[in-house]
Amino acid sequence: MFACIHSPEADLSAIAEAFSPSFEQTAPGTIVFKIDALRRLYTTHQQIAQAIIKKAGPDANVAIAETADAAILAAHNFRGISISPNLQQLNIASLPMEQEMWEVLESWGIHTLAQLAALPETGIAERFGPAGVHLQRLARGATERPLKIFKPEITYADRISLDHPVSLLEPLLFLIARILNDQCEKLLSHAMSANEITIHLELEDKSEHIRTLRLPVPMRESKSLLKLLQMDLEAHPPQAATQALSVTIKPVHPRTIQAGIFLPITPAPDKLELTLARIRGIVGESNVGTPELLNTHHPHPFQMSKHQPPATSHQPPTIRQAFRYFRPPLPAKIDLQNHRPTRIASPGITGKIQTAAGPWRTTGDWWTTQPWNRDEWDITLSNNSLYRIYREPTNLWFIEGTYD
Amino acid sequence: MISVHSRSFAAKNIYVELRTRSAFSFLQGSSTPEELVTRAAELNIPALAMLDHDNVSGAPRFHMAAKKAGIRAHIGVEVTCTDGHRYPLLAESRTGYQNLCRLITRMKLRAKKGEGAATPEELAEFSKGLICLASRPDANIIDIYGAKNVYVELQRHFNRNQEAHNQALIDFARSHNLPLLATNGVSHATPQSREALDVLTCVRNKVTIHEAGRLLSMNSERYLKDARQMSRIFGDLPESIANTRELSDRLQFTLADLGYQFPKYPVPPGETMNSFLRQCVAKGERNRYYPNAFTAGLCRRAHAQIQKELALIEKLDLAGYFLIVWDIVEFCRSQNILVQGRGSAANSAVCYSLGITAVDAVAMELLFERFLSEERGEWPDIDLDLPSGDQRERVIQHVYQRYGQLGAAMTANVITYRGRSAVRDIGKVLGFSEPDLGRIAALVPSWGWTDPKDTAERQFREAGFSPENPLISKFLDLYMTIRDLPRHLGQHSGGMVICEGQLDSIVPLEPATMPGRVVIQWDKEDCADMGIIKVDLLGLGMMAVLEDSIRLIRDSYHEEVDLAHLPQDDPQVYSALQKADTIGLFQVESRAQMSCLPRLRPERFYDIVVQVAIIRPGPIVGKMLNPFLRRRQGREKPECLHPLLEPILARTLGVPLFQEQLLRMAMVVANFTGGEAEELRRAMGFKRSQARMQEIETRLRSGMTTNGIPQKTQEVIIQSITSFALYGFPESHAASFALIAYASAYLKCHYLAAFTTALLNNQPMGFYAPATLVKDAQRHGLHFKPIDVTKSDWLCTIEEHDGQLWVRLGFNYVKGLREQTAQAILTARAQAPFTSIQDLANRVPELRKDELRKLSEIGALNFITESPTHRRAAQWDSELAIRPTGPLFIDQSPVPSPQPLQPMSASERLNSDFHNTHLTIGNHPMAFHREKLNTLGVTPANQLKNVRNGWPVRTAGCIICRQRPGTAKGLLFLSIEDETGVSNAVVMPDVFDRERATILNNSYLVIEGEMQNIDNVLTVRAAHFEPLHVAEEAVPSHDFH
Repeated sequence: MFACIHSPEADLSAIAEAFSPSFEQTAPGTIVFKIDALRRLYTTHQQIAQAIIKKAGPDANVAIAETADAAILAAHNFRGISISPNLQQLNIASLPMEQEMWEVLESWGIHTLAQLAALPETGIAERFGPAGVHLQRLARGATERPLKIFKPEITYADRISLDHPVSLLEPLLFLIARILNDQCEKLLSHAMSANEITIHLELEDKSEHIRTLRLPVPMRESKSLLKLLQMDLEAHPPQAATQALSVTIKPVHPRTIQAGIFLPITPAPDKLELTLARIRGIVGESNVGTPELLNTHHPHPFQMSKHQPPATSHQPPTIRQAFRYFRPPLPAKIDLQNHRPTRIASPGITGKIQTAAGPWRTTGDWWTTQPWNRDEWDITLSNNSLYRIYREPTNLWFIEGTYD
Repeated sequence: MISVHSRSFAAKNIYVELRTRSAFSFLQGSSTPEELVTRAAELNIPALAMLDHDNVSGAPRFHMAAKKAGIRAHIGVEVTCTDGHRYPLLAESRTGYQNLCRLITRMKLRAKKGEGAATPEELAEFSKGLICLASRPDANIIDIYGAKNVYVELQRHFNRNQEAHNQALIDFARSHNLPLLATNGVSHATPQSREALDVLTCVRNKVTIHEAGRLLSMNSERYLKDARQMSRIFGDLPESIANTRELSDRLQFTLADLGYQFPKYPVPPGETMNSFLRQCVAKGERNRYYPNAFTAGLCRRAHAQIQKELALIEKLDLAGYFLIVWDIVEFCRSQNILVQGRGSAANSAVCYSLGITAVDAVAMELLFERFLSEERGEWPDIDLDLPSGDQRERVIQHVYQRYGQLGAAMTANVITYRGRSAVRDIGKVLGFSEPDLGRIAALVPSWGWTDPKDTAERQFREAGFSPENPLISKFLDLYMTIRDLPRHLGQHSGGMVICEGQLDSIVPLEPATMPGRVVIQWDKEDCADMGIIKVDLLGLGMMAVLEDSIRLIRDSYHEEVDLAHLPQDDPQVYSALQKADTIGLFQVESRAQMSCLPRLRPERFYDIVVQVAIIRPGPIVGKMLNPFLRRRQGREKPECLHPLLEPILARTLGVPLFQEQLLRMAMVVANFTGGEAEELRRAMGFKRSQARMQEIETRLRSGMTTNGIPQKTQEVIIQSITSFALYGFPESHAASFALIAYASAYLKCHYLAAFTTALLNNQPMGFYAPATLVKDAQRHGLHFKPIDVTKSDWLCTIEEHDGQLWVRLGFNYVKGLREQTAQAILTARAQAPFTSIQDLANRVPELRKDELRKLSEIGALNFITESPTHRRAAQWDSELAIRPTGPLFIDQSPVPSPQPLQPMSASERLNSDFHNTHLTIGNHPMAFHREKLNTLGVTPANQLKNVRNGWPVRTAGCIICRQRPGTAKGLLFLSIEDETGVSNAVVMPDVFDRERATILNNSYLVIEGEMQNIDNVLTVRAAHFEPLHVAEEAVPSHDFH
């Protein structure tokens, strides 16, 4: 005899493990297992079913039937407990079958399992082949098959709950190192690496502090991972003492790359990542990386993206005039004559404007709440230095930078 | 500005914008030609050049708008070249324009629709008379066009990179001694319309606005700027501004100088076109007006009229046109293709004599001037109705062959952004999710009636979108801007233009989507504006039905029917019309027509003419329907609005019903000339007519005041005339349609089997679904036979049984069965009858499994074996036949085994019929429930006439039509079918609001209300609805016209 639990809510594998070491997870929310051995503990099937439903909760359906498939069918179609129920009046839509076969059976006027079961087996075999025969056996409750035993996935998540809250980083890192050592060993034994690591701190003030590091190359050295976490936590410390912590690693297959013999030696990816993490800690996250040109006419048409090792390129670099941005732009006072700038005054950059080209006008993002609209000029001063100035819609002038 | 040198500029300079692009560049410009012209006039720009991308589709509208605004309109095109560049070319002379048209035609005709590029050699071949604006430093341009015809174009949009390019252009111009020309590369009339351009750019590139990035405009500077702005921008290059005027002066060509000539008709030696036309007309006159004692007077009048018409035709040099149309009609006759002229041509006795029209204009006293007048200076318009489908295509191909691919073409149809298409495109570009888009699209009113309380804001709020949300508010603005802009060029359903010589020198030609068709770049209205003559070859489903009926009558009844000589005043026809027994008839079958027929009670042919014309938005909105009916019934004295109108309105009992009457009214009461009256007519039928109608109204009022017509009468006359702006039939057109309506009624009354078969074979057409047509025919005593693989053809056919004619349904009614499969079945069946389903499957390998299943499900395989079986048994066997047996067993018959399936019940058969064929020849679904309905007090449709006016009533049936016309002030009309007939219900707006979900979401309804039984017109005024569960499937409802 087999029992099937069907509940979309409960953690069914934990419940099934309480009754049987081996079970089949037919679908998310459906588990089936043999119950013959339970007869030593429980006198009747009803008692077994009640024991299961006690664990699974009142919303679960529990069915006990001769075959695994019959139990699954019953659990899907009858609420609460059902012991060897009569499935014959069930609609054929409850059977697992392809749409086309269902449509044919419906057009034949076959709506219930009983009607399907009553059709001649040879006729069904001739028309639908093995799939039809299997379906008819399901309808008759005559399928026998071994269970497909469920094997749990290997997880890389560990949690430590602390008796006393820890407010200093060092003892916290000691605990993190413990977890990381175990997990990295596990990674090694399964020939895996990590490309993402998440630390989840439960704090004394009931808040949570979650940090996720996405690694540019898969790594499994616990020391490197620890160092990265340490620098990240130094840059983003939790707001209160930690009561519990968990570390989760996302496992991936390690990347194996053979470096080109004629390529210049570059730092090891893990070391480079550590160095970049240090720089990020000093200058701020948004100021480190590779500038990436954005597809826009916006005056600031780039963003800093995460550093990626450059792909080898045979294209010669194009020579263009470089522009050096002042960050932030320098406020300036500009005198105008006939709508053209004639004199500039700004700390360190002052004088008569010799030539001015412009205005260069860009407007955009009109569909957003922050449209932009600005006029730029390129100006030269008496010392031949070339600057770009611009006027905000507020009529304030700024020096955006200088051409090298 | 741009230059490092500041210069003074002459504010009074004249500047001509020689590079504008309109919305006719399809998704590359966001202003209509009219908007550009209006803006230019506001800015005092004396001339404007419009260069759209590879087309001149907007040129006529540009020309007409400019003419009105007093601006010179220069024509040009941005031509795509195979070298990847676009060459802006301006027509200096007519030769230049002709070269431009030929160049575009050449490149378009060899490419797929919407594509094509000219080679540099072709640019050179068609370079004469064209000026090229060089927008890049390329010496080849000088080789092609000559140094005198090249201007180096500079544009300044405050763009750093553009200025570097300009420097290169200036150097190029200096080194080759070429003149500089300032333009602004205008893509939108005002800075605000840049947003719409950005949206259109996204639509063209199939990206959202968030992804578009540098595809969008950098700023909003490509708008129309005045001389002052442009002079300031080009302050350092004043000659570039001065040259715009110089070039504009050089461009002498405008569309007024098109040089169009209608083709000459080849006449026998020794004849002129005039003499030959006289001969043909005289011959026709003898046939049409055979004089005898009864018709002598008519013949005399006809002869006089014909002579008058011929004199005018000769004077206007139009004999060729009449001969060409006559030639098309003769071709149709020789090919046994039914043809009939409609429209204003039916006002002409010459057209009647030539056999172009079937309405005797003299006997009906129709107004010839409506068709042709010397004063108007406009070509006449002849529309020919042909059977829709292959026959019409044959006629079109005949015209192509006769006048050559470059001598004849179809007119275009400019597809513009409409409500839903605008919503979808804008919504997608702004990144709305698919469900949100669906919700917004659903807000666009798709029915005629729009609640006046409905504003876009209110609708959006009700659908859960806040108009305060910036994106939604932007969406609304864009919707208003983009709606009605051209989207792409389609093909008009039947308009053909023909030209003496080469049509491609008048307007560029393009390939149509349909193979073998060529389309010009102008639409119907543009052709009329440009004075190009056209012949409309229109497909009419009913013409195909009439033609098929004649053939079927010949084959099955063994009788010959000549539509030109049908018995007149047939009592059965008028009896059917008076009872509104008109399902399937031409023009008089709609619900509104049916509710009018018992009141109008047609007794002679002219009554049908009135009936066809009266149920139109024009007469209904003009409140002419009810006065006419009351007068017709003798309940009201016929009275004219004014004694002056007596002669015009006498025969329609003082009520204006036809366009001709309104034109004559305008001529009599407001002293309109014939030409002004014609202008009024065009404003009525013209889609861009609102402003024109208002102008005309003012002129009408002043004319009537001059004639001393009281203010109150003026109002009524204005109301009558302006309401025709919505839609009104000319009398001649109504008469042509009435002939077809009479013919269809005659065939239905006397040859029901043939008429019904022809109707079923020409679907979709008309007002009713095939299921309703079948039920109606059955109620008239016609019997049907089901689709049967051993008997049916692709189309429905007529079979004789026991001396009666039955209609056999054809395979064309099996949903999802391909014609190719049906033909394969017929071929195999012709070789030998099928012996079993397996035999059918083996011998017709084209038969797909879903097709075989369908055939078995509808009972089409029941008679394939010697002993007839039931549908389920056929299904059981079909499923076996579908399964591949492999080559080893292919010839082996299956071992017979008892089939285990139960036969279908009656309701299962009904559902299967509706599901797979959309109709049933068995009992109506309502018949199965009549007993139960009787207990509920439901009155069948055929018993409603016994319910007294004002009494409560309960009726029920399948809803076959829900209609909420714009003219009915929010009323909803329902047509309900049961096994006894079709009944009607009217739903007041408040009831509709309350019961909306029940009415719209159920196919079968029980309707409670009050009986309105007046003048034999039966309507239930609905008060309450309840869903009725009768069958899973139903006749598909024909909703929301």
